[in-house]
Amino acid sequence: MPQGKGCVIYMFKIAVVGDKDSILAFKALGVDVYTVYGSEEARKTVDTIARNNYGIIFITEQTASLIPDTIERYDNEIIPAVILIPSNQGTLDIGMKRINENVEKAVGSNIL
Amino acid sequence: MKVGKIIKVSGPLVVAEGMDEANVYDVVQVSENKLIGEIIEMRGDKASIQVYEETTGIGPGDPVYTTGEPLSVELGPGLIEAMFDGIQRPLEPLRALAGDFLSKGVEIHSLDREKKWYFTPTVKVGDKVEEGDVIGTVQETPIVLHKIMVPFGVSGEVTDIKEGEYTVVDEVCTLDGNKKLQMMQKWPVRKGRGYKRKLNPTVPLLTGQRVVDTFFPVSKGGTAAIPGPFGSGKTVIQHQLAKWADSEIVVYVGCGERGNEMTDVLMEFPEIIDPITGESLMKRTVLIANTSNMPVAAREASIYTGITLAEYYRDMGYSVAIMADSTSRWAEALREMSGRLEEMPGDEGYPAYLASRAADFYERAGKVVCYGGDDREGAITVIGAVSPPGGDISEPVSQATLRIVKVFWGLDYALSYRRHFPAINWLNSYSLYQPSIDKWMDENVDPEFASNRAKAMNLLQDESELQEIVRLVGRDSLSEEDQLKLEATKSIREDYLQQNAFHEVDTFCSFAKQNLMLKLVLEFYDQGIKALKKGVYIKEIEKLAVRDKIARAKYIPEDNIEEIEKITEELIANIDNLISKGGILDA
Repeated sequence: MPQGKGCVIYMFKIAVVGDKDSILAFKALGVDVYTVYGSEEARKTVDTIARNNYGIIFITEQTASLIPDTIERYDNEIIPAVILIPSNQGTLDIGMKRINENVEKAVGSNIL
Repeated sequence: MKVGKIIKVSGPLVVAEGMDEANVYDVVQVSENKLIGEIIEMRGDKASIQVYEETTGIGPGDPVYTTGEPLSVELGPGLIEAMFDGIQRPLEPLRALAGDFLSKGVEIHSLDREKKWYFTPTVKVGDKVEEGDVIGTVQETPIVLHKIMVPFGVSGEVTDIKEGEYTVVDEVCTLDGNKKLQMMQKWPVRKGRGYKRKLNPTVPLLTGQRVVDTFFPVSKGGTAAIPGPFGSGKTVIQHQLAKWADSEIVVYVGCGERGNEMTDVLMEFPEIIDPITGESLMKRTVLIANTSNMPVAAREASIYTGITLAEYYRDMGYSVAIMADSTSRWAEALREMSGRLEEMPGDEGYPAYLASRAADFYERAGKVVCYGGDDREGAITVIGAVSPPGGDISEPVSQATLRIVKVFWGLDYALSYRRHFPAINWLNSYSLYQPSIDKWMDENVDPEFASNRAKAMNLLQDESELQEIVRLVGRDSLSEEDQLKLEATKSIREDYLQQNAFHEVDTFCSFAKQNLMLKLVLEFYDQGIKALKKGVYIKEIEKLAVRDKIARAKYIPEDNIEEIEKITEELIANIDNLISKGGILDA
């Protein structure tokens, strides 16, 4: 663990979860890529990496729609942040909806 | 003996003059009706007498006859299955004699003088016997072998002993040629019967009630109090204990409570079969009834009558349980008499000697080595209900009781309102016998019993803290471990502690079954934690179908308890299945 001046810096990793075609390109950015097929594998993968020092988990909306319980589980956790992204087949709009909901909860009205 | 003259009547209290030959605590006969009374105060030649019967129609000038004897009970065969009033008059023959309600001045012997019992000697001519030695036996009921003992203060060499059918007053044995012994003996109720020495009570009384046996056990020879507000189930718990406690004799004192509660006992007990002896429960029960409409002075005596009978059976080497329902009514009787005597009142009008009287009563409990050559061990367990007004136990009777008793079963109205029976609050009840009983449990039931019990209690205590958080911010804000804890404690509360007194199977639960059930509900928590660590979601654990079976484990009959172990296996299999389906990857 690298030490900064007078403070400890925790290094978190970033992961992307989804189908292979949508997420393979993230590898170029140095992000860990986890390709999954089916809900069971998706769930196990997300739960496993959530416990393994990942700070942000990007997950494609298609995959996320298979495992709503799992996504909900991390809603109240600070780490990891589970962020939904569109896949190569376009958006399902659930990622944006979640953000709108959260904004509404936080400030009282939808300002976006 | 000199005849006194009444100068004042105040309810059950009569003051008579010209009583200089009498002594305090002598029994007297008041008026021509010969009402039974007891002198409770002497000033010069004036005696204050508490009358154990209705005093209507008595006035100044009426005579008072002294008997010169203290208030005594008759001890001998014929006590079991009988029902007596507070001064040991048998109610059934009284009814035959005088009708449904008590009438004045009816004289009747406590024990049937006509009935013949088969006396079997256990000593022979030439044997030397001392006080407390068993000279013979009478099969009083199919399960109670009544031992006829040499009365205290008598000893000698047996010169004659007869076998055969005799009444309680026939002479069956002669000592030293001149001391005639009969089967019946008398004993003053206010004096504890002696014993050789007291022992430390370490064996638990099996009551078949899970919350009592597991969390707040009382030992054979211990004392317990059940305080609780109206309608919280004191009487039902007393009845349950009287039914299922594994003591050999039960003395049930209905003291100042409703008459139909005694009726319940009379109706139910003969039909219930004791799981230990296989005979009707009535065959080991003595009832003493002084219901709320019976004379108040006799209420004061009923407690002592009950414990004296209990001591008599203890002296035979039996383990006796005495239930007193309720000692608050008894204290109120003391208060009433004290008020009429114009004594200086203490807290809430109770007499200043309330605490010492209560202590006198509870201290007659205990496990002892009885008199007699064979060093028999007998025990008296006293379980007293207390009815604090408004359920507030900071009142004098509860406080005086709690100072003496070692087990406190605090009943909670909120629990009984939720239909949680027995409504014993697990957070504020306690048992000071726990350490010694833990040891007994570990040796006789399961080496892990005490640690399991402690674990379950810790969970229940954690639950009450978590409930506060849940009330403030809601259940979803808890971590999954804490949510599981809530589920597990719910299971302990509803599947383990809660017990149905009216269900054939669930009304009684043996130690072995309690042990397995406790293990099962705790296993659910352990397995749940294991599953959570492996990434299983709390919702999936909550939805497990096997949880229904855990909830129904209490209805598994005693002769089938290995079923409970099967449920445990099924639970583990189910959890393993969840882990393999939804668990995290072993990376």
